[in-house]
Amino acid sequence: MVGWRSQSRDLQQDAILADRASSQDPLGSPLPKMIPGIGAFTQDTLWCFSQVKGTMETGTTEADIISTVEFNHTGELLATGDKGGRVVIFQREQESKNQVHRRGEYNVYSTFQSHEPEFDYLKSLEIEEKINKIRWLPQQNAAYFLLSTNDKTVKLWKVSERDKRPEGYNLKDEEGRLRDPATITTLRVPVLRPMDLMVEATPRRVFANAHTYHINSISVNSDYETYMSADDLRINLWNFEITNQSFNIVDIKPANMEELTEVITAAEFHPHHCNTFVYSSSKGTIRLCDMRASALCDRHTKFFEEPEDPSNRSFFSEIISSISDVKFSHSGRYIMTRDYLTVKVWDLNMENRPIETYQVHDYLRSKLCSLYENDCIFDKFECVWNGSDSVIMTGSYNNFFRMFDRNTKRDVTLEASRENSKPRAILKPRKVCVGGKRRKDEISVDSLDFSKKILHTAWHPSENIIAVAATNNLYIFQDKVN
Amino acid sequence: MLGKGGKRKFDEHEDGLEGKIVSPSDGPSKVSYTLQRQTIFNISLMKLYNHRPLTEPSLQKTVLINNMLRRIQEELKQEGSLRPAFPASSPPADPLGSSYREAPPAFSHPAPAPCELGGAAPLEACLTPASLLEDDQDTFCTSPAAQPAAPARLAPPALPPEKDSFSSALDEIEELCPTSTSTEAAEATTDDPKGDSGGPGAHRPEGLQDGRPDDPKLMDSLPGNFEITTSTGFLTDLTLDDILFADIDTSMYDFDPCTSASGTSSKMSPVSADDLLKTLAPYSSQPVAPSQPFKMDLTELDHIMEVLVGS
Repeated sequence: MVGWRSQSRDLQQDAILADRASSQDPLGSPLPKMIPGIGAFTQDTLWCFSQVKGTMETGTTEADIISTVEFNHTGELLATGDKGGRVVIFQREQESKNQVHRRGEYNVYSTFQSHEPEFDYLKSLEIEEKINKIRWLPQQNAAYFLLSTNDKTVKLWKVSERDKRPEGYNLKDEEGRLRDPATITTLRVPVLRPMDLMVEATPRRVFANAHTYHINSISVNSDYETYMSADDLRINLWNFEITNQSFNIVDIKPANMEELTEVITAAEFHPHHCNTFVYSSSKGTIRLCDMRASALCDRHTKFFEEPEDPSNRSFFSEIISSISDVKFSHSGRYIMTRDYLTVKVWDLNMENRPIETYQVHDYLRSKLCSLYENDCIFDKFECVWNGSDSVIMTGSYNNFFRMFDRNTKRDVTLEASRENSKPRAILKPRKVCVGGKRRKDEISVDSLDFSKKILHTAWHPSENIIAVAATNNLYIFQDKVN
Repeated sequence: MLGKGGKRKFDEHEDGLEGKIVSPSDGPSKVSYTLQRQTIFNISLMKLYNHRPLTEPSLQKTVLINNMLRRIQEELKQEGSLRPAFPASSPPADPLGSSYREAPPAFSHPAPAPCELGGAAPLEACLTPASLLEDDQDTFCTSPAAQPAAPARLAPPALPPEKDSFSSALDEIEELCPTSTSTEAAEATTDDPKGDSGGPGAHRPEGLQDGRPDDPKLMDSLPGNFEITTSTGFLTDLTLDDILFADIDTSMYDFDPCTSASGTSSKMSPVSADDLLKTLAPYSSQPVAPSQPFKMDLTELDHIMEVLVGS
């Protein structure tokens, strides 16, 4: 199963044809064409535009560039972080009985400034307020909790609703001014009266000063009591209640920095085993560590690395092997890694090679020198699983994003653009042509816009709803509902 | 070409140059391989030392670029150690006895030896913007006829004797410091304005071979925000760059799409290489080829020296 190359069959085209064919049912009754939800990416799944958030202006302010996207555990909330340090949370509206054809839309629920720019006086450098990652905590009461982080500081935010307020205080009047106790002649019990819904976000914890280098990942542990934060050289374990201490569990900083050749690029806890986590490196390796083995997990329990393909060696082999994202499957049996040109799925029980490899944009292999020159080769693409671990998705350039069905081995390239943004418009599959003959509707490699990159995507935990961040716009796509 | 909505070109041949490693043993491919390597080396140096961000540069990026430079250096070193076994077909006037420094020399020697082919590859092609590397493989393997033209264009006749003294001094330095570390760099520098190259010059294929002494305080001007950069060997090689370019307006160097302050869509690099070149143009009386971002020819250095000395 190693080295499977995509055939780039147009999944959506097939589905459209099948759709038309089946509507010719001689018995006259509409056949059920859809296998609903739960991540089943069958031949019949069509992706449609649902919503787009963000301004339509072509001149983008840097601060609006979306830097992270994350659904919460139920999929009810969708959080985005941007370069300006803001977090915007969207909430899915309740599906009404009247409009069965439209699934709930996501509307703004709360917006707050999570991080502010800071200045490191020691090094005379700015600390960016850009939100690198957001991770939700599972809901335990009426309030929602999320972690957001920039390069240096992690914060725990509580997002809570207030739709009632107390009235009838004895010591305060309605405006809140204190009353003179001497004037009070009767006592009453304050009552709660309804008010307009107010959503407030408050920072409950600030976890600062634990990272010398830039934080690239945070991951909530399955015990819901601890989480980890990873920077280029170290990984720290925190308890949610304690902000002035953290345990260092991985440290790959060499004694002599001259000898540094490898950095940590991403880290994640196992979804079920609270003692297990993985971290990826800039050399294309993944290490799985068990915290029960020792306090400092510098010695890995498992080491995942694929031997280099000698026919593909180039100057840029190392750089393109650098892993930009690592994600456990929901089942916990697999990990998925994203490097510059491919997405790989690894079985935790097999360390010497991945079980599946998918080519995201192999046509860029001959452009690596230019991409090195303009720094695009350092772009960090993320990757996501769908709810049932049957389909994986990742972004590319020109506002393209790709989905790979692990069962059918089919893939599709879709585009997030304003042109496809009519309500419930079905997304047309896109194709990049490499050779001389360019067919209609195909786009040639040289025409790709490398400034339009899709680095961040998210998939609803149980339904076929995806959120795709294209620079400063957030696109929400859903599968077609009959 | 990379760019937004670039004009479509009917590309007949495969862009296969970069995907594979070209064996250094066959003729024209060897040229392109060395050329490519040299280009990548220069791009890497450019990235490390011309990036003046307001925020800390990404450690991952720095490490990857450093690894790239180290690898190329290792290769050059290995090739350098193999070369002396070659017959001395290089003419005596050839200052670069060892093609260890074959990477485009500043002293465009007039009669390049066959084994120098890679290094003496036409100067204008040496620092081709990467996009050109991809488009046309033929650009690399220029005919030998072109090569004398380049040296003739750039080297005044008085140069050869100077080159010899340079090269011999270079040889000495090579023996002194085979590996580049900061301590060795500091020791290797002398005050001889002509003889020594700055730092472990053997590892400086850029050919900035004038003898300005290493200025220790320049180390501070290098991106030393991470510990790694203050002690990496490459830094010491580049103090000369900083001396030479200190007065040059570096705003043009910031072509990095991610850090450019303007909100314009990212333009790819060939523009910047040309821009950089224009800033160097005043230093040279000859027309400079459009793709030599950092190549200070010996002629140009000579010019500067003359201006400074006032002769």
